[in-house]
Amino acid sequence: MSLDYVKFSSGFEKFMPKEYRDMVEHGPFGKKVSVSQMGSFKEVLEEHPMCAGCAMTLFIRLAMIAFPNPEDTITVGTAGCGRLAISQAAIPFVYGNYGDQNGVASGLSRGLRLRFGDKPKDVVVMAGDGGTADIGFQQVLHSWFRKERFTTIMLDNEVYGNTGGQESGMTNRGAVLKMAPLGKKFEKMDMLQMAKVAGCAYVATVVPNNPRRVESVIKKAVLIAREVGSTYIQAYTSCNIEYAIPTDKVMEDAKNVENDRYQFSEYITDEAKQFLTERYGYKEFLPKPAAPAPGLPKA
Amino acid sequence: MYLVADISVEICAAKSCKLCTQYCPEANTILYSDEMGKDKGFKYGSAYVAVDRCKGCAQCVWVCDNMAKNNAIKMIMIDQLPVAALTDNITYGEKSTTAALVSPVVG
Repeated sequence: MSLDYVKFSSGFEKFMPKEYRDMVEHGPFGKKVSVSQMGSFKEVLEEHPMCAGCAMTLFIRLAMIAFPNPEDTITVGTAGCGRLAISQAAIPFVYGNYGDQNGVASGLSRGLRLRFGDKPKDVVVMAGDGGTADIGFQQVLHSWFRKERFTTIMLDNEVYGNTGGQESGMTNRGAVLKMAPLGKKFEKMDMLQMAKVAGCAYVATVVPNNPRRVESVIKKAVLIAREVGSTYIQAYTSCNIEYAIPTDKVMEDAKNVENDRYQFSEYITDEAKQFLTERYGYKEFLPKPAAPAPGLPKA
Repeated sequence: MYLVADISVEICAAKSCKLCTQYCPEANTILYSDEMGKDKGFKYGSAYVAVDRCKGCAQCVWVCDNMAKNNAIKMIMIDQLPVAALTDNITYGEKSTTAALVSPVVG
């Protein structure tokens, strides 16, 4: 949990694989990187077995770049496609049993606070829509009610993609899938509203076809979770296999879905706004300068 | 044989929008090199593909054609590429990377 854990033990440099050496020498550890520098530094994410053209992978890749301190971050995940990529990164990854990722993260984040005190250590949960809204629903909601200080990110592909295409709570009404041939009979769960009711300090929706926005949203969520309370991000990450989207049309689909039902939305409490402004120098929440009074006669 | 993305340096180095580097789902697959364009007298550097990591999804082609409107990326069979960048031949610098281009080994 510090910069030291990625460094080589002395004498072992020459035995390390090239990818590892690149990551230590040209990785994002200990410096600030942004999406505009992508392609010029070694990323913490490595090769992974996710399908070609998967939008979830793109989102995970952007998320790994957006973490404010990757060397002080632990990711927690559960069964689902996402963990295949999240676990292939130079960030410690904890695999919760199906559904208990938010329970694991609660204990982890409390333990890190006991061990390291005020030194920020970030815990980020990244799980699919099934892990978050169906099987892990109870633990997710309770971690929010307890105001546990970590970030929950839902990788919402609107289907159980890893097991052949069953409907999930986040599938849209009427969607016909391989393992749900009659079409879903119920509405998509409104997890955003539930997060607000449960007391999350920051709730946002994103689609990965806007990398800068993904970066800014994740940075804010992780920083707020350091002190203020739970934060929740719901990201649309289409499954091009189960929804039969040609791989070169994945971003077109993301754009259409963003216009249709996944418009960018951001909810942030006043306490979180104040925290970001005072601690991390965010300017966007400062009161706007008063406009000159209308109707004054010209001098 | 399989398809991989190939970026035209002539078009890319004239525009240098870097969008494809941000939209590729694979990490460190589309990289950016200052030398590749500036050595040929262009204003900017160019993006290039580490072909051993490319899964051939062609998302970059859609982004280049429809978002950037540059039409610089084409999908090409890997044995048709005369030379390409491989991960082992890529070195990282301060602001860009450098790749020694070799013929991709196809077996």
